[in-house]
Amino acid sequence: MRHLYLSLMPEALIASMLSPEEFGNYYAVGAERTTQGQAVFFEIDPEFRHPEIPVEEALARCMPHADGGPKRTVYASVYRVLERLPLSVLGTLYLVTKDGRTLGVERASGSGDDGTELHLYHELAPVRPLVVSRLGPEHFFSLLTRGPDTLLRLPAVSFVELRLGELAVDPKHGSVGDLPYDNIDHLRSCLEQVRSKEVALKVVDRLHPGSFSYRTLKNGLFVGNSRDGVAAYPLPPAPTLKENYYSWWKSANM
Amino acid sequence: MQWKEAEVGKVYMGNDLWLYIGMGFGLVSIAAALGYYRWVFRQDEGSEKAKHIASLIKDGASTYLAMLYRTLIIVALVLGVAIAIIFSGDPGRPYHGIYTAIAFGFGALCSALAGYLGMSIAVKANVRTATACGRSIGDGFNVAYKAGAVLGLTMVGIAVFGMCLLFLIFHDAEIVLGFSFGASSLALLAKAGGGIFTKTADIAADLTGKVELGIPEDDPRNPAVIADNVGDNVGDVAGMGADIFDSYVAAAVASMLLGASFAATIGIQYIVLPLILCTLGIVSALIGLRFVKVGPGGKPGKALNSATVMSCVIFAVLATILFAVVNGLAGEVVFNWGALIATISGLGIGVIIGFTTDYFTNDDKKPVRHVAEISASGTGLTIITGLSYGFVSMVPAIIGIVAATLVSYFSAQAFGLPGIYGVGIAAVGMLSLTGVVVSNDAYGPIVDNAKGIAEMSGMSHEVVETADVLDSAGNTAKAITKGFSISAAALTVLAMFSAYTQAIQKYSGGVPFVLDLQNPLVLSGVLLGCLVPPLFSALVMLAVTRNAFTMIGEIRRQFKSRPGIMAGTELPDYNACVGIASSGALKSLVFPALLAVVLPLAVGFIMGPSALGGFLGGSIFVGVVFALFMSNAGGLWDNAKKYIEAGNCGGPGSDAHKAAVVGDTVGDPFKDTAGPSINTLITVMSLVSSLFAPLIAQYHLFG
Repeated sequence: MRHLYLSLMPEALIASMLSPEEFGNYYAVGAERTTQGQAVFFEIDPEFRHPEIPVEEALARCMPHADGGPKRTVYASVYRVLERLPLSVLGTLYLVTKDGRTLGVERASGSGDDGTELHLYHELAPVRPLVVSRLGPEHFFSLLTRGPDTLLRLPAVSFVELRLGELAVDPKHGSVGDLPYDNIDHLRSCLEQVRSKEVALKVVDRLHPGSFSYRTLKNGLFVGNSRDGVAAYPLPPAPTLKENYYSWWKSANM
Repeated sequence: MQWKEAEVGKVYMGNDLWLYIGMGFGLVSIAAALGYYRWVFRQDEGSEKAKHIASLIKDGASTYLAMLYRTLIIVALVLGVAIAIIFSGDPGRPYHGIYTAIAFGFGALCSALAGYLGMSIAVKANVRTATACGRSIGDGFNVAYKAGAVLGLTMVGIAVFGMCLLFLIFHDAEIVLGFSFGASSLALLAKAGGGIFTKTADIAADLTGKVELGIPEDDPRNPAVIADNVGDNVGDVAGMGADIFDSYVAAAVASMLLGASFAATIGIQYIVLPLILCTLGIVSALIGLRFVKVGPGGKPGKALNSATVMSCVIFAVLATILFAVVNGLAGEVVFNWGALIATISGLGIGVIIGFTTDYFTNDDKKPVRHVAEISASGTGLTIITGLSYGFVSMVPAIIGIVAATLVSYFSAQAFGLPGIYGVGIAAVGMLSLTGVVVSNDAYGPIVDNAKGIAEMSGMSHEVVETADVLDSAGNTAKAITKGFSISAAALTVLAMFSAYTQAIQKYSGGVPFVLDLQNPLVLSGVLLGCLVPPLFSALVMLAVTRNAFTMIGEIRRQFKSRPGIMAGTELPDYNACVGIASSGALKSLVFPALLAVVLPLAVGFIMGPSALGGFLGGSIFVGVVFALFMSNAGGLWDNAKKYIEAGNCGGPGSDAHKAAVVGDTVGDPFKDTAGPSINTLITVMSLVSSLFAPLIAQYHLFG
């Protein structure tokens, strides 16, 4: 059985003989522990084809090794993948911890906007800035992909909304609590600026690292393009994760 | 001072009766421990997977203990033969050497037995505690605490039985000193070896598992996870057990020696008074332990502390009744009231020191929170702040030791006893709680293991969380125990130091033995003594880093050569890491342990008794300071990290957490390897000096 996966960190379309759980483990920790790191990917409809991406060739090369072992990865494309995939081909989202534990998350309806004034977004693809905004996830997506006044319109985007805790209400004095973000003073300052000025968003970190802590996810992951709109993949609530996916939850809280 | 030399009459018979009573209660204590042992053994072991993991821990611990005891037998035989030969040169006491050697061997055997029994029940109780946590927190607590009580009661039972038996047979406190030396020699090896083992495994497991790969604590994919759990047992049960056993015996023997030195003027009943107080300690522990329970929603930390406080009160009441009844029945002052005040002052201050130590290591208090908060600004500040609080943490303990010393000295003197005897008795009073303190202490590694087994065997998160609550209480109890045991060791060695000076004076023809800091030999001795605790600490901590480095290489090798480990399809080779920790610890501890025996003898025989007196003073003072500082700073860093992991100051993965992890790694060998081993180091050096004092007084090059 051959699978197609869309990795968001980094953006790539990959053919593989591994199941999602095996692929997640391999992609996070490598075969000989020579690579490591968080991974986020979608399983893609295996029938998906696109003239600009050599999917057929990648699948053809995705054959067992001489020793019978499965072919783990054949990269079909490593850029401009997201914009070429319709939302309809996206299957289950998989969130993989640094130590290779994989959690499958399904698409759900609803924007997850709880009406709070301030939001923190970590864009995953195609670029990776950390942004604060007064816009909820759907409006933020619209601004990035369809905003009439912006010069920087993206054909497609994937991002996560991260928790702000007390900072969402009181950026200046709110307690940091368990938020592990770097340079908190700068984040506070950005949040205050967004709240007090006309601009709808502000870049906190233009070269933000690719990874983020799953425990800081607020509404889960959003993915969409200017043609199909946005789809939400909300993370199950913490008690559910703890009860049903304890190993993943524990690794995600490291 | 030999018992038979004294004019004793009916008091002789009375004192022998106390020894029989002591032996009786020693046996009762051992029987109670066996009762608890059987009760724990009957508890449900749980699932096959849990049993398998527990068996891996048990096998690892047994492998290490077998290697350790093989080394110890060789050391004990060599030292025993040396003692037999060296001390047989006195024509007036031709069998003194053989008797002392027998006592030495008996002490080493008892210490080993206490440690072995404690660990034997701990590795059975861990899986049963984990399974009991699935029923309720109270059930989990009961299993762990009763298993801890096996070590506590066995230890005090064996110690009191052994000391009473030897004194009953030989009626010579100097021979009982051999028993103490045997216990301490073994304790030093067990504590230092266990400390090196446990931190080797802990640091290697954390650095490769948590930091490099993001594997959570107690994850079965980590090849060092079993070694880490074995380390909890060999370090905190067998090691700590042997360590407190040695302090307990040394405190009693130091007071017996002082009692023997002054027996001609104060009466021979003061030789056995320390043993009587130890017996009362057993009684109060047996009663106090009955009241330790955690009901539904109860707090295990409170239960642990209430056991300590309750036993303390019971002991004080029993001691007061004993003094009143004995003096009342005799119609005269048999046991001086000054000795009672000294005993109770030591007891009270011991408890106060224990709880003030908690201030510096508890995450509810300012020092830990300050270190956690400041960690967000970088590792440098974490280290500086932790070091600073570690230094400050010595203040209440040192003031407590000073207060105990002064109160016990002057209260004893005010009632006509030699002041220094009061100091010795204060140490006995402080250590009279040993049964309960060791029970609390041994509970810690058992629940720590239980949590690990619950995690590794895939028990539900509710069970893991229940075990975690029990574990947190164990960590606090451990911090209190360390403050308590270091302070008790300080008072013990002060008394032992006086016993040394009395022995030198006795064997130098009664010439007053005065230590003068203007004497260059004394000053040189002091400086050399000051050198030993930091040198010893450095050697054992370097052993930890060296062994951890080797183990990290092995863990990386396993991950690289066996990809199925991380995928969860293949089990790691746990035994490889257990083997590295075991052999590394045993190879590394020999030289530091030899220092404790060889250095005092070298200083004594070469530079003379005065220099050795200075040497002991220097090592005791610097040793107490180092032990307190290292234990408290290490505990503080550990809890600062845990405070952040609980969701404060950014939580796991934050900059504060990264800095706190470094602080914790630095603090680990401080608090679990070097710090507590220094207790035993200074006790062993004091015992060696007192034991060899008769020879050093006569044979030395200078001074």
